Amino acid sequence: MRRMRLVTAAIGVASAVALALAGCSSGDAGGGGRQTLQLWFWGAPPQQQQTMKQVLIDGFNKSQSKYTLQVTFNNAVDKNVQVALSANKGPDIVYGSGPAFSAAYATQGKLADMTPYAQKYGWQDRLLPAMYQSGTVDGKLYSLPNSIEDIGVFYNKKVLAKLGAQPPKTYAELVSTMDKAVAAGMYASVTGNQGWKPVNQNYISLFLTQVAGGKKVYDALQGTIPWTDPSIEKAVQASADFYQKGYLGGKDYATLNFDQSVQLLSQGKAPFMLGPSLIFQFASNYFNDKNGTTDDLGWLPFPSVDAGRPYPYPTLGTTASLSINAASKNKDGAAAVIDYMMTDGFTKDMNKSWPGYWAVPLKNFDLDAASYTGLSKPFVTAMKDTIATVNKGNYGFFAGTFFPPATATAFTDIDSVWLGKESAADFLKKVQTTFAAEKAKGLVPPLPQPGA
Amino acid sequence: MVITAAPARESAPAHLPPGRRRTHLRRRTAINYALVAPALVLSIVIVVVPGILTLLFAFTDWSGVGFDVHFVGGKNFASILSDPVFATALTNNIKWLVMFLTLPAVIGLLTAMLLLRRKRLRTFYQVIYLMPYVLAPVVNALVWQTIIYNPHGGVAGLLGIQPPTGSTSTALYAAAAVDMWHYWGFLTVVYLGAIRQTPVDQVEAAIVDGAGGWGVFRNVYLPSIRPTLLLMGVMTVIFSFLAFDYVFLLTQGGPAHASEVMGTYAYAFAFSSFEFGKAAAVGIIMSFFGLLASVLYTWISRREIAR
Repeated sequence: MRRMRLVTAAIGVASAVALALAGCSSGDAGGGGRQTLQLWFWGAPPQQQQTMKQVLIDGFNKSQSKYTLQVTFNNAVDKNVQVALSANKGPDIVYGSGPAFSAAYATQGKLADMTPYAQKYGWQDRLLPAMYQSGTVDGKLYSLPNSIEDIGVFYNKKVLAKLGAQPPKTYAELVSTMDKAVAAGMYASVTGNQGWKPVNQNYISLFLTQVAGGKKVYDALQGTIPWTDPSIEKAVQASADFYQKGYLGGKDYATLNFDQSVQLLSQGKAPFMLGPSLIFQFASNYFNDKNGTTDDLGWLPFPSVDAGRPYPYPTLGTTASLSINAASKNKDGAAAVIDYMMTDGFTKDMNKSWPGYWAVPLKNFDLDAASYTGLSKPFVTAMKDTIATVNKGNYGFFAGTFFPPATATAFTDIDSVWLGKESAADFLKKVQTTFAAEKAKGLVPPLPQPGA
Repeated sequence: MVITAAPARESAPAHLPPGRRRTHLRRRTAINYALVAPALVLSIVIVVVPGILTLLFAFTDWSGVGFDVHFVGGKNFASILSDPVFATALTNNIKWLVMFLTLPAVIGLLTAMLLLRRKRLRTFYQVIYLMPYVLAPVVNALVWQTIIYNPHGGVAGLLGIQPPTGSTSTALYAAAAVDMWHYWGFLTVVYLGAIRQTPVDQVEAAIVDGAGGWGVFRNVYLPSIRPTLLLMGVMTVIFSFLAFDYVFLLTQGGPAHASEVMGTYAYAFAFSSFEFGKAAAVGIIMSFFGLLASVLYTWISRREIAR
């Protein structure tokens, strides 16, 4: 009787598990003999999704007959990818926040070694050395950036004219114009972190680059100097002074986002918007040929805070990274997609209608700005200049790209210093503790060494 | 003295011979197990296993990705408990609890009493009050962020004031206000349902005895809905320590951790820092408060029954 009950219970449990698993299972769909490749991408606006469809999806699918690429757009892509990779599932091509996040997945064996594909396709010869190196872990390639970016100054030419100012060539000129704007009842500049707290990383990275310098940050990331080094503390304090003077969106920093900020810039509510070059993609909604406002927007690299530093001196970052899922059954196909994205033709086509996101880190970023319209023209020009500067070794590091995840998150909390809740010294002590733990785990991505 | 009904023992029809009765009983038992199995398996897979794993991971340095896990003892708890941000988050959860135990409960009770007297349109009002509750939090948050807390085009902008989500002194209350706005209508409907269960003869007797509106409420309705108040109070305690969505959507715990709650604190560990071990430890602490509330509820319920 008891054995019968146990057998019955076991059958019941097995049936329930089978039902549950049947509900969870999924198949690999393929049409016309083609293998399906999956890419999960962030929830870009409809117009940009259309560009992605025409240039990437249709372009890739027509370029060969073995694979069909499918792209899924979702704003929670980072979290979804993290959960999927943990379960050895997810897309074939892994879109991530940058090399530092990819390194965290790579060390756990969730990403495929792309070195053989790099050799097959010649990626190392084709891409900027600093960008290629950033995607390696223990000498093996695990990710490639889709685009480089810099943190600079967007300005409204009409507002500057109204204020009787010129595009600032020095830090003193930038600050002077912002003071004039405030006196005229405007924002000094517009930007904000509403809805995405890691926006803070842009501004602390900017000051680390401009005040401490790329070499100091490189040394801190190598562990040869602590994050509590006086030069880094000075940079953190300088960022706090800048914020407290209202130069970062004033009191509305926490209630503005990039899109609203560009809109305010277009409405003449501020002379400047400080931020990453990817803002070009939001700016094209407000500064465009249709409204006849394209030429009202200007962009320049952030003026040197330290007079002894060369200009321009970019805060080098990447907008995202591309890797291959270790659990993918179509790694060759995934590599083919990434290779397709690392080409001159793809770069040229994507930038025609989607400026800001596709400065593919090609050594020879040979795009003819004159052949572009709208904001694609200034974006292409800006990125060509940035790549030329990076090739000279003059750059600092964007936290979201190059710092290990917990250290980058610790720097996201910089608003505690900006709002006077914590001193720069105490803040950096916490950063140092967090960084030391991550360094011990080997989570610091390899870094391209900048010039002194 | 407590009298409870004992469950009826399973029995086979008396007219069957002993052999067939045993077979009948075995078949009934098999069917019972088969019926219980799906729910049991789901509970084990979805609740028990993750619960045990969370408890185990709280003592490890698991990154949330892969299987590279090391036992770190109580290090995660020590690190969290020494972090001032955790103290801020815990304090904010307690503030959240105090706000939710008072404001929505009072407003809900008041509105329920007003609706009780209204015969016409009562259902219509209940539907209206429930609307924010049935809308997704992201929709409610977006509505408030765009219409109320927007410095350009919103009410805050029109009044020329800084949106409360942008100030360290008001961010928590700004997020709580939206959550309470979505919650009080639900309480109204629940309380109204409970109040309507009050025996009419008791209400009429109290009125005949000369009790006024306040007297009837205090001496008749309130004792009558006491179990409902207690249950909703306990649920509020549990929800308050699990608060996450409105804070995350409106302030992300900022500015400068001013509106941080334990839910957002744990989320940052899990999905930004790849420190699942610490996130699990925060989760355990959060569960501890829910467990306390549940134990308290059980204890009070038993006392109520014994009385």
